[in-house]
Amino acid sequence: MSAIDASASSAASPAAPTPRPAATAAGAARDLPPPMPEAGLGATGSRAVGLIAILAIGFVILSLGVLLWLLERDEREEQRVTLINDALWAEQSLRFAIQSDQDDLARLASELRRGLTAPGLKTRVEHVLRNSPEVENIALFGADDRLRLSLPGGRADPATGPQLRLLALSSGQINFSEVTEAKPGSYGFDIAIPIYRDMAPDGVLVARLSLSDLLANHIPWWAGQKYQIAFTDSGGGVLAGRTPMTSPEGALSHTIVFDPPGKGLAVTVTRLDSRTKMVSRALIAAIIGFSALAVGSLLAMRSHMRRRTAAEQALRAEHAFRKAMEDSITIGMRARDLDGRIIYVNQAFCRMVGWSADELIGRGPPMPYWAPEEMDRTVQIHQAVLEGHAPPEGFEIKFQRKNGERFDGLIYEAPLIGADGGHCGWMGSFLDITDRKRVEEIGRRQNEKLAQTSRLVTMGEMASSLAHELNQPLAAISSYAAGSLHRLAQRDIEPAELSEVLSKLNAQAQRAGQIIRRIRDFVRKSEPSFAPVNIAGLLREVADFAAPDLRKHGVWIEDADWPVEVSVTGDRILLEQALLNLIRNAIEATAELPPERRGISVELSTDGAEAIVSVADNGPGLSAEARDRLFVPFSTTKPEGMGMGLNICRTILELHRGRLWHEDRPGGGAIFRFSLPIRVA
Amino acid sequence: MTGAAIHIVDDDEAVRDALAWLLKGHKLDVRAYGSAEDFVARGTLNAAGVILLDVRMGAMSGLELFDLLRDAHSRTPVIFLTGHADVPIAVGAIKSGAFDFLEKPCDEAALVPLIERALEEDSRRRKQAEAALAKHERIASLSAREREAMDLIAHGASNKAIAHQLQIAVRTVEVHRARVFEKMGVRTAAELATLLAAPGG
Repeated sequence: MSAIDASASSAASPAAPTPRPAATAAGAARDLPPPMPEAGLGATGSRAVGLIAILAIGFVILSLGVLLWLLERDEREEQRVTLINDALWAEQSLRFAIQSDQDDLARLASELRRGLTAPGLKTRVEHVLRNSPEVENIALFGADDRLRLSLPGGRADPATGPQLRLLALSSGQINFSEVTEAKPGSYGFDIAIPIYRDMAPDGVLVARLSLSDLLANHIPWWAGQKYQIAFTDSGGGVLAGRTPMTSPEGALSHTIVFDPPGKGLAVTVTRLDSRTKMVSRALIAAIIGFSALAVGSLLAMRSHMRRRTAAEQALRAEHAFRKAMEDSITIGMRARDLDGRIIYVNQAFCRMVGWSADELIGRGPPMPYWAPEEMDRTVQIHQAVLEGHAPPEGFEIKFQRKNGERFDGLIYEAPLIGADGGHCGWMGSFLDITDRKRVEEIGRRQNEKLAQTSRLVTMGEMASSLAHELNQPLAAISSYAAGSLHRLAQRDIEPAELSEVLSKLNAQAQRAGQIIRRIRDFVRKSEPSFAPVNIAGLLREVADFAAPDLRKHGVWIEDADWPVEVSVTGDRILLEQALLNLIRNAIEATAELPPERRGISVELSTDGAEAIVSVADNGPGLSAEARDRLFVPFSTTKPEGMGMGLNICRTILELHRGRLWHEDRPGGGAIFRFSLPIRVA
Repeated sequence: MTGAAIHIVDDDEAVRDALAWLLKGHKLDVRAYGSAEDFVARGTLNAAGVILLDVRMGAMSGLELFDLLRDAHSRTPVIFLTGHADVPIAVGAIKSGAFDFLEKPCDEAALVPLIERALEEDSRRRKQAEAALAKHERIASLSAREREAMDLIAHGASNKAIAHQLQIAVRTVEVHRARVFEKMGVRTAAELATLLAAPGG
C-alpha cells in the first residue's frame, strides 16, 4: 500500500474528488469494531500473579492463625491465672465455710459438756442447723456409741460407720470422714467432734455436711456463671457441682485438693465457655471462611482469567486469520455505510483500483475509480443500490485504475447487517473480469467467423444451383435484347411493343440483381444485429432462396398456412442460415425417394410464448447412432459434409434464446424443429 | 414449313417468354409449355418442328421427357437448353439421340441457325418418313406374286429368268413387271432397286 501511495498523482484522478473530512473518517470508522488491544499479561504472567496472590493470602492466613494462636495462648494463660486465683478463692471460701461450721459444731460440742440431755440442747442443735444450711444432719452419740439425738431427725444411723466416732473418741480430735453418698446423688462427709465432759470423752457429735449445699451456699452466683465449680473425687468424677454438668473438652480447669476432709476430695474449678471464646472461635471460623472465600474467588478469578486469556487468544487468532483471509482473497471487498461512503476496503480491492485504503476510506461519490465515460450508468446503479435495488445477479461496469487504465468489473452488492442485526450499510464484492471478457469476446468473434464460414460453405454448395438461377434472368435478358435488335433491324417493331419488351428485360435484370444481393447479404461477415423479424416472411424468403436447389433435386415445399402475425427479435441473416441448412438437409434426405414422395414440409406454429418452425421430410429418418451424434461437431453422414451445420444452427438458435431439436416423423422420416421467443411488440 | 413449330418447354416464365419473343421475331411459329407434364398433356409427342427442352425442371426433368419421347419413337429433333453444370448431361443426351444442346444464356447468333437446321432436319425426316410410308403402302398393294416378281426385277433379272424362277410364263412376267412399275411409281428396274434400297423400307 505504501508503494501505491508513493506514486500518487492527483493528475491521474478524475476532477474534484470529494474532500475527505477527518471527522467523517473517524465517524465512519465508528462503524468498525475497535482494534484489538495489546496482549497484556499473557498466560504465564497471570498465572504468576495468581500464584503470588495465593501465597500472599496463605501467609496472611498463616500470620493471622499464628497471631490468633498467640493471643489465645496469652488469653488462656491469663485465664489460667485468673482461674487459679478464683479456684484458690473458692477453695478458701469453702474451707472457711467448713471451718466456720466446724467451729460452730465445736462450740456446740463444748456446750454439750453439760450433758447430752441438757434442756435446750435440741434448740441449740436446731439453731446450728439453721445457721449452717450445709449441715444436713447432726447426730449425737454417747460414749457407748449409742445414738442419742439426730436432727433434723428421722435418720437412724449416719452413713459413716462407727470407725469415725471411735477415731474421734480415741484421738480426742476432730475427724473427717471420707465422702459418702447418703442418698443417691447427694454426697457429703461427716465431721466427728468428740464431746468432753470433765476432761473425759463423753460422746461424739457427728455432723453431715452436704457437698452440694456447701457449693450452693458459699459460691456466689456470678462465680457459678463464670466457672463450673465442683467437688470431685480422686477419679475426677463429679460429686457435686455448682452448675449443671457440662464439662466441655479441653476447658481450662484447676483442681485443688480439699483437705479437710481430704481423702481424695478436691475442688475442681472449670472455666465455662465464655462469650469471648465463642467470639474468637467465630472469628477464627470467619477468618478461615473468608480466607477460603478469598482463595476460592481467587481461583475462580484465575480460571476466569485463564478462560478470558484463552478466549482473547482465540479472538486474536481469529482476527489474524480473518485479516489474512481478507488480505489474501483475490476478490476485492468494499463496505460502505448507508450514505454510500466507503468504510472498509480490503487489499485486493486496493490492488485492483490502485488507490490505498487510506485514500479510499471515508470517500463518497463520485469515486475516483469510476470511469468518466460510464459516469451516468455508474451513478444510476449507485443510486439503485443505496435504495435497496441492487441487481441480485450482479452487474458489469467499466472502472478505471489510478493510472488511468480501464478494467471490467463484475460487482455484487448486498446489505451489510451489523452485529446488532441492524442494517448499517452495503457490502460489495468486486471481480476483475477483464480477462474473462476478453476471452468471451474472442470466443464470440470466433463463433461469428465460424457462422460466416458456414454460410460461405453453404453458398459454395449451392453455387451451381445459384449459378443456374442467375442464368434464367440472363437468358431472358439476352433473348429479349436479341429479339428486339433483330426486329429493329427488320424495322418490324412498334415503339410501344419495344417499350414493353424492354421493361420485361429490365425486370429480369432486377431479378438477377436481387439474387446477387441476396447472396452477398448472406455471406457478408457482420455483427449479429437484432431487429424484429416476421417469421412468415422469413420462411417465404428462404423458400425462394432455396428454390433452385429444390428444383434441381425435384423437391418441393408443400403448401402450408404460415400465420402472418408471428414476429421474433433476431438477426435475419443468421435465422435464414439456420433455416436454409435444415431445408437443404431435408432435400438430401429425399435423395433416394421416388419423385412423388420428395415433398418436404415447412410449418410455423405457436406454443404459448414461443414460435415453432418445423422442417419435415419423408426420408429414411435418423438411426439411433445418428441421433446421438446430431450436434457433435465434425460428425456427418454426408460424404463431403463437414459436420458443422447443425452445430452452428444450434448456436445460432441459442443466441436467439431458442432451441433446436429433432423428432421422428410418425410415418417415417425426420422432423427438425426450432423454437424462438415471440416478440412482444 | 407449315405446321412446323418451335416447342419451348421451360419452367421459367421469363425465359419462355423472351425466347418466344425472339423466335417470333424470326418469323417462327412458337408454342410454349411450362413443364414437361404440360407438354405431354397438351402437345404431340411426334410434333412437327423442333423441341427446345430445358434440362432442369420440376418433377419431370427434361431428360425424363426426352426418354419418354424416344420410347414413343418421336422423330422431332430435340435441342437441350442447359444451365451451367449440365453440359455432361447434355453430351450424354446427344449420344442418346438428341439433336444438339445450347448453353443458357443462348447466343442468338448460335440459336437461330441451329433451330433452322433442326427444322430442316425435321422436314427431312418427315419427308423420309412419308416416303417410307408411301413405299410401304405401295408394296402392300402388291399381290404376293407381284411381290415375288418385284424382288427379282429389282435384282436385275431378265424376264426369262424370272419366268423360269417363278415357273410362270414370260408373258405373265411382263404383265407383272408393268403392274409393279405402275404401283411402285417407277419406270425402270434401276429406279425400283433404288426405291427399295432407300432407308425407311
